[in-house]
Amino acid sequence: MIYTKKVMILARKELKDSFSSPLIYVLSGLFSLMMGWLFFNYLIQSTQMTTATMTQGVITPIFGNINFIFIFLCPLITMRSFAEEKKQYTLDLLLRSELSEMQIILGKFISNVAMVLFMLSLTLLFPLILSFSGYSDWGVVASSYMGIVLSIMAYTSVGLFCSSLTDNQIVASLLTFCILLGSMLMVISVNATNNYLLALIVQYTTIPFHYEGFTRGVLKSYSFVYFICYLVFFFLLTLKSLQSRKW
Amino acid sequence: MELAIEIKNLCKSYPGRMALDNVSFSVKKGSIHGFLGPNGAGKSTTMKILSGLIPETSGQYIVNGKVGFLPEHPPVYPNMSVYDYLKFVFSIYAGAVNEARIDEVMSKTGLTDVSSRLIGNLSKGYQQRVGIAQAIIHSPEIIILDEPTVGLDPVAIADIRALILELKKEHTVLFSSHQLHDVELLCSDITLINRGEIVVSGAIETILASLKTNMVLKARVQSFSKEQKNKLISTFGVDSIEVTQDLEQKNTLLKIATKGKADIRAELARHLVDPSIGLLEFMEERGDLEDLFKRMHE
Repeated sequence: MIYTKKVMILARKELKDSFSSPLIYVLSGLFSLMMGWLFFNYLIQSTQMTTATMTQGVITPIFGNINFIFIFLCPLITMRSFAEEKKQYTLDLLLRSELSEMQIILGKFISNVAMVLFMLSLTLLFPLILSFSGYSDWGVVASSYMGIVLSIMAYTSVGLFCSSLTDNQIVASLLTFCILLGSMLMVISVNATNNYLLALIVQYTTIPFHYEGFTRGVLKSYSFVYFICYLVFFFLLTLKSLQSRKW
Repeated sequence: MELAIEIKNLCKSYPGRMALDNVSFSVKKGSIHGFLGPNGAGKSTTMKILSGLIPETSGQYIVNGKVGFLPEHPPVYPNMSVYDYLKFVFSIYAGAVNEARIDEVMSKTGLTDVSSRLIGNLSKGYQQRVGIAQAIIHSPEIIILDEPTVGLDPVAIADIRALILELKKEHTVLFSSHQLHDVELLCSDITLINRGEIVVSGAIETILASLKTNMVLKARVQSFSKEQKNKLISTFGVDSIEVTQDLEQKNTLLKIATKGKADIRAELARHLVDPSIGLLEFMEERGDLEDLFKRMHE
């Protein structure tokens, strides 16, 4: 109980910090503008499509886009986590405190995820609008949101790790972006091979493959296992990076 | 005498460089201990090790009690208010937040008036106070301050000094500086470090007394002739007199080195007041740290 309380002290402070800076509002505005525009386009298109359902014509593509755009936005949110602390010399303040390194990582993780969720919450308007036209496939919407939340958590854990490596925020965000996009592009590069097994294995290691199931409303247990492993892996990397001062 | 900090044969090596080489000294409980050395001597490294931030390579140290640490750069969040910041630091260092304690520390460090202002908007002197407040908020027995007066204006330096003296009542203070003047005013004990090695450690009086074998006096006079120089040497038995003409101010500078430990300032001043010489300024030249190190190597 005390453990989570201390994590929350840090998370609360981080959130207060972030919401008092303009970055989150600028990003949120940009994000909702892009998404709103795309949503509008898909909605117009779907009226001309007679064979596709609303889920196929609007929900699935819009969530695909949300996921893709967060690959660009998550690094911008997470870049400051450790890089700025290092630059301000405040990381030592945290490390010397009674918070353990893992508590610091979790506190930062929770606050960053909460910020991205705030941006995501702006898209709740879309299903609301659809509900006026009699849309009723809420299972897919719920599982898509679950998928996007899991992806965001994965992106954030990568962002935290990259931020802990450097004291330069731009380097941190670019590195995060490269790792995320690079792992996504791996799927395309395995298309070049005829080795079916290799393609399957590589595909399994990428986020979009697992995310895609969620957008179709299919919850697979191995996808949950994948996301949990992904988070734990990057938490451990971040932990090692924070402990590297003692090497 | 109870010890607050005891360091024995502490070594810290970075690849290709020895930052600390067999450092041993101790800090008495309830004292203000000055830690002196030029830049890059290993002061910060020692302090970081003592505060538990980085590990030592070999050797051991004992720290009896909680440590409050002010690093070289005050670890403050520029977009937090002073009060919120102290509350946050308190909560991550002590667990339970005691608001009365925050008020107490703010009044002690003179921050009550600026408690709701953002730290980033405060002057450097005030930021340094916030840094000190941060170090003492969880009532540590030992406070380690790394160059608390660097880069401040004279008024702020005097304030910080008064604050450190105030802290002595409840805490043991170890603070580093490269200004001998700071240390002379505050400390009862000092430790000198140079290139990762302890030069000397002990009570400040004994160290300074052992160094001051002769005194150097500086005087500015209207005129000073050769005969007067010879007369001065013969009457006072001074070691040497260096005479330089200050062309800019159209007067003469004297640098008089005395022999032995006898204090001849009063007599010498009386002699120089003579109308034919015309004393304008008279002062003892204070040895600065550089001088101290130079003399120690001799």
